[in-house]
Amino acid sequence: MIEIKNLHKSYKMGSNSLHVLKGIDFSVEEGELVAIMGSSGSGKSTLLNILGMLDELDEGSYDLDGVPIKNLNETKAANYRNKFLGFVFQSFNLINYKNAMENVALPLYYQKMVRKERQEKALKYLDQVGLKEWATHLPSELSGGQKQRVAIARAMVGEPKVLLADEPTGALDSKTSYEVMDLIQKINDKGNTILIVTHESDIADMCKRIVHLKDGVILEDKKVEQVRASEYV
Amino acid sequence: MFDRDIWQEIFFSIRNNKLRTFLTGFSVGWGIFILVMLLASVNGMKNGFTNQFGNDAANSISLFARSTTEPYAGFEAGRKIQFKNSEVDYIRGNFQGFYEYISQTVNRSISARYKQETGSYNVIGVNAEFQKIEVTDIEEGRQLNELDVKNKSKVMVLGRLVVKDLFKEENPIGKFLEVNGSTFKVIGVFSDDDDDRAERSIYAPYTTLQRLYGNTSNINSIRMTYNPNFSLAQALDFSDKVEYVFKRKLKISPEDQSAIRVRNNADGFSDLNEFTGLLNTMSIGVGILILIAGIVGIGNILVFIIKERTKEIGIRKALGARPSQILKLVLLESVFITSISGFIGMLIAMGILGIIGPLINAPAFSNPSVDISIVITATLVLIISGLVAGWVPARRAAKVRPIVALSSD
Repeated sequence: MIEIKNLHKSYKMGSNSLHVLKGIDFSVEEGELVAIMGSSGSGKSTLLNILGMLDELDEGSYDLDGVPIKNLNETKAANYRNKFLGFVFQSFNLINYKNAMENVALPLYYQKMVRKERQEKALKYLDQVGLKEWATHLPSELSGGQKQRVAIARAMVGEPKVLLADEPTGALDSKTSYEVMDLIQKINDKGNTILIVTHESDIADMCKRIVHLKDGVILEDKKVEQVRASEYV
Repeated sequence: MFDRDIWQEIFFSIRNNKLRTFLTGFSVGWGIFILVMLLASVNGMKNGFTNQFGNDAANSISLFARSTTEPYAGFEAGRKIQFKNSEVDYIRGNFQGFYEYISQTVNRSISARYKQETGSYNVIGVNAEFQKIEVTDIEEGRQLNELDVKNKSKVMVLGRLVVKDLFKEENPIGKFLEVNGSTFKVIGVFSDDDDDRAERSIYAPYTTLQRLYGNTSNINSIRMTYNPNFSLAQALDFSDKVEYVFKRKLKISPEDQSAIRVRNNADGFSDLNEFTGLLNTMSIGVGILILIAGIVGIGNILVFIIKERTKEIGIRKALGARPSQILKLVLLESVFITSISGFIGMLIAMGILGIIGPLINAPAFSNPSVDISIVITATLVLIISGLVAGWVPARRAAKVRPIVALSSD
């Protein structure tokens, strides 16, 4: 599904150049649930941004579902993001004047789906995260866990090839975190490919594979026995 | 364009910036208000000038003969020039298609008597076409016709005030008037909207007057209207040509400015058009300068809103929004604010004009109003203003990089 070879990325900081990713080889098969771990500055967010086509790589190659991702203009990147990827963020990033259903329907709007179909599909995905009754509520009327579940529904509604989650539980207490992880595991059980950036080892343990990043190189890449979040809920 | 989601977002952003939107919208509305008022005032001036022509043909040309002021062709200066019927015939023969109606005039001061009442009046001898050149309304009886002119009939059409003086309450039609010793039959009475001088005069066939007074073919002036399809330049060219050939025909120096006096209404109109055209341009200039302040204001508020919404734009881009879709959103919002505020300004201006416009009727200023062309111009100006105001913020929004936006917590 994801194929990365010899990935380099550096940022210009004035006259200095900061080499963040120093040759990453990394691949993900369909249906995997991968945790990318590392302390801050390890390059894990940069890696996720490049995977999410929010940032460009300097060197190396990146193939997503057999499509080489390079030299994208903004419009093309937007189309690929819309078609291939779902995003979940630490701070939820819901649009605060749109209700839950409208937030979930937004990616479909950019797919130019007609309004009625959009709403039906958004409701279906809200139902899957258990928030159908909250469809007309604004984000400000939802708890943190509910917001993240709306965000997950929004990420999944476009039926992406890969779900990218950047610290999805970073802003949640541990009970809510496990609820969210339970949801992510269930989505993964249906065969969806999911990458999670986290620095919490208990969250990482709930994935099937953990990739440790340090100073821009992969320190360790191992398959683990998955801990089911439902045991804690 | 009629996409509910886009409008939802535009209304949200306006709702969240009510005061800002109002203040900047006000400057655009104000600009359009002033633009419309200025253009309407220019219209009012134009109406005022045009009204002064009354209902007389606006395309009239008059020719009068005077005395020469320059010696020429063996003649000394000071020679009196006399137009004759042949001059009118010459125009009829050589300027077919240039003129519309033409008549000579023969003027005489006379004293008229009916029973005990007498008075002195001006008689103007004309042909049947004259009524199309200087328009009068027949109150009773009829106008002069070609037969009267051909037969040199002793008939007269009296001005309303002449009838009032001489006939009192009596019906004058068919009565006979004694004029300088001969008798004329009254065939009609005319009025000429509130022009007392005209209503105190009398029309008769020019042929009759020429026969009675010296049996000459002398005339006092030539009156005509130019082809109504002529442009002002063509009309002026026509009267210049007539003046030129008459000067040659009557042996007048081409440099002599006063021997033949030509009065062409096109002259006044071309001056008026030039003048109001200049005023129009100036008004549009002033209006646009004021509008620019509004445009800058709207651009400013949009830049601010975009900055506030950077994160939201980043989220949208992460979800697959294309730059062109973001661009469209901002431009539409800008055009919407400018158009709505502009139209409000325009409606207020038109409302004020609708109330006070008809009340204003000074000689040089009457019924200031806006026509459809002003409305269309203002609308186009507004939409273009909206696009101009929105362009910079929209480009900025479209260029937002989602990675930067998402990390700006």
